Amino acid sequence: MGKSADLLQGTLDLLILRTLEFGPLHGVGIADRVEQLSRGVFVVGPGSLFPALHRLADNGWITGEWSETESKRRVKTYTITTSGRTQLVEEKRNWKKVFTAMNRVLAEEV
Amino acid sequence: MPVTGRIRSFWNWLLHRSAVEKELDAEVQAFYEVVVQRHVENGLQEAEARRLARLQFDSPEIVKEQVRDARPGAALSSLSRDVNYSLRRLRKAPVFALVTIVTLALGIGANATIFSIVSRFVLRPPPVGNPSTLMALHTTHHAECCNNFSWPLFTDVRDQAKSFSGVAAYYELVPASLGGNGDPVRVWGQATTANFFDVTQLAMTLGRGFRSDEEHLPVIVLGHALWQQRFAADPAITGKAVNLSGKPLTVVGVAPPGFHGVDQILDAQFWVPLANLDALLPNKGKLDARNYHWLAVIGRLTPGTAPSQATSEMNLLAKRIVKAHREADFDDGFRFERAGSLPPRDESAILIFLTALSLVALMVLGIAGANVGNLFLVQASSRQREFAVRLALGATRRHLLYQMLIESVMLALCGGLCGVALSLWATRGLAAFRVPAPVPLDLTVDVDARVLLFSFLLSLATGLLFGLVPAWTVVRPMIATGLKGEDQLARPGRLFSLGNVLVVSQIAMSVVLLCSTGLFLRSMQSASQIEIGFHSSGILMMAVDPRLNGYSPERTTQFLNQLRDRIANLPGVRSATYTDAIPLSGGNRSDGFSVVGQAKLTLDSAELYMIGPDYFQTIGTSFIAGHPFTNENPSGPKLAIVNQALVAKLFKNQDPIGQQLSDNGVTYQITGVVKNIKSRVLGEDYRPVLYRSLAQDIARDPSFAGYRIVVQFDHDPAAVAQAVRAEIHSLDPTLAIFDSQSMQEHLRDALFLPRLAGSVFGTFGVLGLVLAAVGLYGVMNSWVSRRTREIGIRLALGARITEIQWLVVRRGMQLTLLAIVPGLALAWAMAKLFTSALYGIQPHDTLTFAIAPLFLACVAFIACWIPARRAAGAAPLDSLRHE
Repeated sequence: MGKSADLLQGTLDLLILRTLEFGPLHGVGIADRVEQLSRGVFVVGPGSLFPALHRLADNGWITGEWSETESKRRVKTYTITTSGRTQLVEEKRNWKKVFTAMNRVLAEEV
Repeated sequence: MPVTGRIRSFWNWLLHRSAVEKELDAEVQAFYEVVVQRHVENGLQEAEARRLARLQFDSPEIVKEQVRDARPGAALSSLSRDVNYSLRRLRKAPVFALVTIVTLALGIGANATIFSIVSRFVLRPPPVGNPSTLMALHTTHHAECCNNFSWPLFTDVRDQAKSFSGVAAYYELVPASLGGNGDPVRVWGQATTANFFDVTQLAMTLGRGFRSDEEHLPVIVLGHALWQQRFAADPAITGKAVNLSGKPLTVVGVAPPGFHGVDQILDAQFWVPLANLDALLPNKGKLDARNYHWLAVIGRLTPGTAPSQATSEMNLLAKRIVKAHREADFDDGFRFERAGSLPPRDESAILIFLTALSLVALMVLGIAGANVGNLFLVQASSRQREFAVRLALGATRRHLLYQMLIESVMLALCGGLCGVALSLWATRGLAAFRVPAPVPLDLTVDVDARVLLFSFLLSLATGLLFGLVPAWTVVRPMIATGLKGEDQLARPGRLFSLGNVLVVSQIAMSVVLLCSTGLFLRSMQSASQIEIGFHSSGILMMAVDPRLNGYSPERTTQFLNQLRDRIANLPGVRSATYTDAIPLSGGNRSDGFSVVGQAKLTLDSAELYMIGPDYFQTIGTSFIAGHPFTNENPSGPKLAIVNQALVAKLFKNQDPIGQQLSDNGVTYQITGVVKNIKSRVLGEDYRPVLYRSLAQDIARDPSFAGYRIVVQFDHDPAAVAQAVRAEIHSLDPTLAIFDSQSMQEHLRDALFLPRLAGSVFGTFGVLGLVLAAVGLYGVMNSWVSRRTREIGIRLALGARITEIQWLVVRRGMQLTLLAIVPGLALAWAMAKLFTSALYGIQPHDTLTFAIAPLFLACVAFIACWIPARRAAGAAPLDSLRHE
């Protein structure tokens, strides 16, 4: 995991909500999607994924339900809720703010 | 942040813990299964796929632990885990848990009891509205606090002081006889200005306080207790008339429960407007004179006024008043403090006494705590191996420490709970002590919220302190030796180990307690042998106050004489008399005298008693010279009988008989001399006493506390008391009879202070001694256990049993002697504090200081000897096979 970048505090929540925006996924699916979307920069292990999922569920932003995969395996799939979508919009805006601000700071010639 | 979701989730976890855990397990497991399946699909063998998945990610257990840690209330759940673990452990060691809880309960109970006294008399605000802004005002005289107000001074302050939004005055205690159901009873109340209830902002139980136009009307507010006892809590009492000392008064309200005046010690039970005072207390004096200080005053601070502002305003006001009224007996200023504070005159004495009591109670807790600390130490040293194993398995030392603290705090809290239960019982015991005082006092003490909080904090602190010290010592074992089962603390020969320091300090404290106990027990014993100067038994007393029923002085005398004649002729009665006060009632009236014709011979103060015929014969005070009163002519020359102490002060080389004494123009001729008596309290030096004839002085100087019938009986006091009651009521059925008691009861009340001190210190001393003995026993016992092998070797090598016993006893006695020396020094120093509370013995009483340590040494010897016997009784082979 040395190759993956350290996640900023709170970014994992944003990443998970974002991956769920396209539809329900199970745990491995979320980890795969994050890795894929970030082109392999972010690798999410179960040790950080599950605490984050539980945190999001406690906040009412996602719900989990048991379902079956194509290979008839029982897994828990997670779906984003309406308030989760609102939260996602909010977090995206926040992130952009932080992102532009950071860029500005780093681009500034001192 | 949606907090509700997190709370719901925590709640869910709390209620359905196993379901939540099962769900989490399935969830995480499914993740791994998907990963494994993917590896299988990629062509790996199932076993290989699992191995790869395990290598790739953290183990499922760690993942679950991380989820648990991130869960809301994670700290709580880990706490509950530790608590559960401790509970399981304690269930396996019930004796240890029980001993600890009982020990701490005794220590904390002692402190809770003393603190409930402090809480009641020092911390509790009076039950008035907004107690923080209600001030009690006093005047100072030559910068000395505290005097009452005169009426004009009160009106000056009421009308001029801007810092107070309301100022009310009251006469502190008025006796009255109250009619109602059954026989009339004697009650005490207060006469107040009409605004009293507005200033105190009381939430009345029924009705209302006085209206401003009721200053002169016959209305009354009843105390809650009086309303309940005397009027069966009649909800329709307002508007009805009650009979107070023969005067009908209309009830306008009932005060809230617990309110018996702003002062927290006096027990007032009714309130009437000041104008009614004349009817209740005739001949009270010139109530509107500027030099007659008779009113207590309270003031409500104007909102937003700081006490310091009020002080400066009052100082200016005082200067102005002094300038305007030179004749007033008031020359300095005012002082005020929160209403309901301790009486300012006695404040420091009471505080010193309470501090001493608290110190002693803390000492008991210290001994108890040291015991518990030692118990923990013994327990912990037997858990060395467990700790080493847990450390080796990856527990942190901090967590072990934390765990031990949870255990000790849990035990301490249980102990605290039992301690509070104990103090509930103890405060009830305190209520059994009756204080001899001529006025009604409310001295009940109970366990209130402050006491509960105090006990909780004290338990917590005790648990932390006496858990932390031993925990700290044991939670640093060397894993290597610990795993082999060797006890780190078992290094023999160290005299200054933690356990020994604890036991030495507790024995030292118990020396202090024991010496104090000894002093107070000796004081109690010598107090009961004090020569009081009159019969201590065989006498009955009963009081009536005919003045309250409108009797004139002449009629009162006539009534008393008639009653005396009737009672003296009752069967079983030897003689009977009457007086205004019984000696040893805490103080009666006194006055200064000068010898007529010898202006230089004056006496600052002589105790005054008004007596009837046969007084000395009845009460048992012997005559030395002259003759007793017979039937004195009320208008004839006034006669007096004095005691030896007065003669010694005024007439060293003269014959006192026939001398004349003058008190503000009234002259008494001495006709007799009697032996000394203890007049106010048992501990006093004999005071000068002057007896007057009641018939001659009742008109000029009536008693405000009623008159007492004194009866000397042969046998069967109950029947005699019954007969005396019947005689009183056959003369006047409307008279209230009060203070009915035997001389034995009266003297027991007079012994109040030495008895109270003796009981408190006796209890604490015995507690301390037992706890310290148990502590020493425990330490010696574990010392023997740790040296079983050594003892076995010694026995095998031919040591005699007595030598082994001597080994153990010598060790224990070493510790005891080490403790007795500083303990005695401390006790010697502390004894000085008790000087004023001891009766008839010196604070450095040789007997006490010789016997207390000796006694303690004996108890310590027994505590050491029992483990010594056990050590010597062990078979050498068993001892060697011990491990």
